[in-house]
Amino acid sequence: MKIRNKALTASVLTAVFLTACGNDIENAQEAENNQAGGNAVNENNNENGGADSSEDSEELNENDNENNDDDANNGNGEENEDNNGEEGSEAFADLDGELVVYSARNEIFVNDLLDKFEEETGVEVQALHEAEALQIQEEAGNVQADVYISNDVGALEYLNDEGFLEANDSLENIDTIEEQFRAENDAWFALSTRARGFIYNQDMIEEEDVPSSMEDLFDESYADVENGYAITRGGNGGMIGNVSALRYEWGDERTQEWIESIRDQAAGVFEGHGDIRRAVGAGEHAFGLVNNYYFHQQLEEPEDNNVGFVYADQGEDEMGAIVNAAGVGNVAGGPNEENAKAFLNWVLQEENQLAFVGESLEVPINPELEPPFEEAVPFEELEVQDMPIRELGNYFEDTRQLIEDAGLDLELR
Amino acid sequence: MSSPEESSIQKFKYSTMRLWRDIWRGNPPGPVLLIIGLLTGVLMSVPLLYVIVQSLQAGVDSWMRLLGGRIPGLLWNTVSLTVAVTAAAIVIGVSLAWFVTRTDVPGRKMWQWLLAIPLVIPPYVGAVTYIIVFGPSGWMRDFWEMGLDGFMGGYPLDVYSFWGVFFVMTMFTYPYVFLISCASLRKMNRNYEEVARSQGMTTGQIFRKVNLPLMRPAIGAGAILISLYVLSDFGAIAMMRYVTFTAAIYYQRAGFDIPAASVLSLVLIVITVFVLWIESYTRRKNKFYQTSNSYRPPEILKLGRWKPLVTLYVAAIFGMAVALPIYVLVYWTAIGAGVGVIDADFFAYAWNSIQVSGMAALFCMVLALPLIYLKSRHPSVISSTVDKLSYTGYALPGVIVALGMVFIFNNHLPMLYNTMYMIAIAFIVRFLPQAMQAGEASLSLVSPRMDEAARSLGYPAWKVMLKVTLPSIMPGILAGGALVFVSSIKELPATLMLRPPGFDTLAVRVYVEASEALYHQAAPGALLIVLVSILPLHYLLKRY
Amino acid sequence: MSFIQLDHITKSFSDAGKPAVDKLSLSIKEGEILSLLGPSGCGKTTTLRMIAGFENPSAGSIHIDDAVVVNENRVLPPEKRGIGMVFQDYALFPHMTIEKNIMFGLNKWKKRDKKKRAAEVLELVELEAYADRYPTELSGGQQQRVALARALAPKPHVVLMDEPFSNLDAGLREKMRFDVTNILRRANITAIIVTHDQKDAFAVSDRVVVMNEGVIQQIAAPKEMYRCPKNCFVAQFVGKTNLLTGQMDHDLKSIHTHIGKVSLPEESKQQLEKVTLSIRPEGCMLSEQGDYCGRVERVTYGGEYQELHVKLNDDSALTQAPMVIYAPVEQDVEIGTIVSFDIKPELVALVE
Repeated sequence: MKIRNKALTASVLTAVFLTACGNDIENAQEAENNQAGGNAVNENNNENGGADSSEDSEELNENDNENNDDDANNGNGEENEDNNGEEGSEAFADLDGELVVYSARNEIFVNDLLDKFEEETGVEVQALHEAEALQIQEEAGNVQADVYISNDVGALEYLNDEGFLEANDSLENIDTIEEQFRAENDAWFALSTRARGFIYNQDMIEEEDVPSSMEDLFDESYADVENGYAITRGGNGGMIGNVSALRYEWGDERTQEWIESIRDQAAGVFEGHGDIRRAVGAGEHAFGLVNNYYFHQQLEEPEDNNVGFVYADQGEDEMGAIVNAAGVGNVAGGPNEENAKAFLNWVLQEENQLAFVGESLEVPINPELEPPFEEAVPFEELEVQDMPIRELGNYFEDTRQLIEDAGLDLELR
Repeated sequence: MSSPEESSIQKFKYSTMRLWRDIWRGNPPGPVLLIIGLLTGVLMSVPLLYVIVQSLQAGVDSWMRLLGGRIPGLLWNTVSLTVAVTAAAIVIGVSLAWFVTRTDVPGRKMWQWLLAIPLVIPPYVGAVTYIIVFGPSGWMRDFWEMGLDGFMGGYPLDVYSFWGVFFVMTMFTYPYVFLISCASLRKMNRNYEEVARSQGMTTGQIFRKVNLPLMRPAIGAGAILISLYVLSDFGAIAMMRYVTFTAAIYYQRAGFDIPAASVLSLVLIVITVFVLWIESYTRRKNKFYQTSNSYRPPEILKLGRWKPLVTLYVAAIFGMAVALPIYVLVYWTAIGAGVGVIDADFFAYAWNSIQVSGMAALFCMVLALPLIYLKSRHPSVISSTVDKLSYTGYALPGVIVALGMVFIFNNHLPMLYNTMYMIAIAFIVRFLPQAMQAGEASLSLVSPRMDEAARSLGYPAWKVMLKVTLPSIMPGILAGGALVFVSSIKELPATLMLRPPGFDTLAVRVYVEASEALYHQAAPGALLIVLVSILPLHYLLKRY
Repeated sequence: MSFIQLDHITKSFSDAGKPAVDKLSLSIKEGEILSLLGPSGCGKTTTLRMIAGFENPSAGSIHIDDAVVVNENRVLPPEKRGIGMVFQDYALFPHMTIEKNIMFGLNKWKKRDKKKRAAEVLELVELEAYADRYPTELSGGQQQRVALARALAPKPHVVLMDEPFSNLDAGLREKMRFDVTNILRRANITAIIVTHDQKDAFAVSDRVVVMNEGVIQQIAAPKEMYRCPKNCFVAQFVGKTNLLTGQMDHDLKSIHTHIGKVSLPEESKQQLEKVTLSIRPEGCMLSEQGDYCGRVERVTYGGEYQELHVKLNDDSALTQAPMVIYAPVEQDVEIGTIVSFDIKPELVALVE
């Protein structure tokens, strides 16, 4: 109902404005059409008109068939299979309108995926990048987003616990994702995974001089390496996950000491991990605490690419690498529920799982898929922390508080 | 025939009417004008009120936590930067103004406007160019490593530091002092200086004892503008990785820690109000400065052997504040254009910018009219209050306005939340006073007798406004609209915080691409913003 | 029957201090040209603006053509009062031609009538040729006439003119006084003119109202005003004068002053002890056998006449101001010489 009102107001205002600007009637007409479609935001870049969409839908139908086969192979119940088949193909064929995506992921990793979805379905995607999980919470009374893409399973599980995500019971292909990487109610699922570690500049520092564990960062001597080391701001999703994992392992007191120690000793505190990999690659800092795929990205750079990577805590008595994952959540009560479901089904298709990983060069969670970065260390070969990744959700809120108390939340240098 | 009760009601009615007329000094405005003016004024201040209410509701916990931990550091960061930039900008602005108005430095007429150009370069764009040149992976470092690295040690410059921010902010704010000082120096009467000279003072002494004191109001006005600018800037400061109140508020809001964001906002509001208070205090005190009738243009001083040095100084400032940033932008724009960055998306962003800014400009022109009309034609306590209220959004940092807007729209106006209208409204709240100032300047040239003439010829007040006042002040209103348009195109923090999904503007793209170090993608937008901003430069130069 | 009636009009701009206009009452007849004359700040402009409706009185009432335009309970806005206003700076609309300016007040008229009326008043002010010009292309005097034409066009009850001549230089000013009176007479319209210049007031009006500190000092026709000022203020403000104190003679026809006995133009109606006399400088004629004599202290050459300050040979007069006397320019008068003069009773007046 709200949405209707909003669409109405928005389009009336648009029409008034366009008329006032002396635009021709065609535009006003378009505004009306948008209204009919129940659109909230009027964007006039429908460059691909109806002609393309018919082609798209053909392609999609093929895909659907494949999916159904997969489902059968996976041995889903008969009822489900039938429903899926019908619903899926119908939904994909009839799709129109739009999809509002909130994303906390770097927009470069997400844009191609969203473009691909737009192209294949004709749904117009409106994306808001750098959206944090709490924005979904804040907007609970006035839900804006259909889908939330996050780098932090903790954030997704937190939203799910608080009831801001919607359960799914019939997602195709969901079984390709290991259970620990999705919500019990399938309100969210992760598609790509990453491990924490240290990227370092091989011109500046030897591998053995790079810390090998999180604990090593208590050691003040790392502050004295050439140009020091880099971390991200405490508000960064990756850092939040990292801290949550440490709290699981160490408890709050020791974790807070750890945050204070890196806050005091780090030479660079950056907004994001991309800044760190570039800085380390360029020799601005000797090493930096990042996720493994940033190492992969830096290796792909045409220059400043003499970098190495140390997975943290791989020793025998150590806790194992801190792992997190990026995934998609289905926001409850979003304006375009049908398109949201369609997007979830769509992104679960194997081709699109890879597209989700995209330029990030993370490792796909689906073991059937080849990692886009060929030399990526498969997760089976890593010592991984024994924390069930969904646990991160229980830590999410308190972790933010802990980071704030330790004073890393607003630090930048 | 009326009963005693009725007549007492009548009496009450008449005495209220009388009081009402007295408030307006016998000249009350029409109800429509008054209501529009009142509504606009109140609406302009709603975001501020909302932030204040929120911050007071934040609870003792938030306050204690922030007061103990965050606020002292932020206060130090913010105040030290504000003071340092203001002081440096005054030194540069005043010295440049003196050199180009009063000495025979070559090309002085040309410098007078060339040196004002940084006014049109938004500091966040300036910051990008300085990061490109002097940043840890910048051109300067390559240059350094080519030659000097061996015997001079590591690259010594760190733009991501207090001094980096300080330098960038100074380079792009000094024109405020420069322009005001130029105007003041040009108006300064030569007689004072000749008296001083006849009493045996040297040029240096005259500058210190005569010129400087006479310029104090001008310098003060410039200093206030600069401190308000530094207090409210978000883009440059965030890009240079320095955290002041604005950046902290932005991050807190991005993380949706609303109580903390509003508490920090309240502190920043208090600082801003303090600066504004200083402004009104000094303005009251400085009223006695008047130029006398026997005005003669000032004498031009011969620089003699100092000429090369002064010329170098003037050129160096120009180089750093104008030539270098523009060169960097053009360089990266060329690279970007080469790889096809200026594509359909780029034009879509530009169109978005134009749409919201145009909408804001249009509404500001319309809304400014009743406000300035009330203020100048119906002076009263009410109209001056309305006037002050409408300045709240202008005086306060954009992040605070945006914060208030998020609260209000998300909770009370959901149908406009996350639409581009929200951004346009934020622009109106932030920049309406620019349209008002321009309109007021032209309205002050239209004699109130003109209105009265029309009234005496049988036109009611509202018709007079439309048929007589409006046509006469149209150029001023249009100039105001242009100012609002350009300010809106440049605006960053509110746009960043309020943009709906799928709606990016040029300013937002410049910020996002630059923080990803994708300079070839950031440069074309930045250059376009600078070019658009040059449009009203002529008007700005006339104003100061 | 008065056409415009002001009853006990008071206007205070602030609660403290004297009111700008204090209980002022005045009636103006239809067709009359009346001047409000006084120094700046005397309340004359405020009075005019209250009649027009641009200010509202704090107390009192105003009627125009038998209708209340303002009283305690009712305020008629300016546009409904049927007034025509001519401003000091003319306030012609710069974005309209002369003709448009004049037709501005005729917006409820038919188009053809508008044109006709505009032509009529342009003819009245003799500016037919300028209809399509813009105000900035006209001289000051022409603008003045356009302003008057614009005010007259809608056939108002009354034309109000605020300092109409003060923006004009001396030569033009004289001509405009004549032109304006002429136009007003031909239009046969009631007019109220505010001025601080007695020459303006005398030249154009039937009656002059002298005001000071918000109070009317005297209302009289110009000639009477000059010859018989009612009080010291009027005597001094309207032209130059010598003020002398003295005692009235028993014959009620002359006054004993420090310069001697001065005859009154007519017998006083009552015996007054101590009185003040106003003697106009031009009422003192140098003559060989004059009744009064004294030593010339100062001579100021004024072009049309010479102004002499004459100290009377009288010991008791040490504290008295010298007499101001106008002498013909052809007469040579040296400082220090003794002169004698007569006083014309016609230019002597008893003042309060």
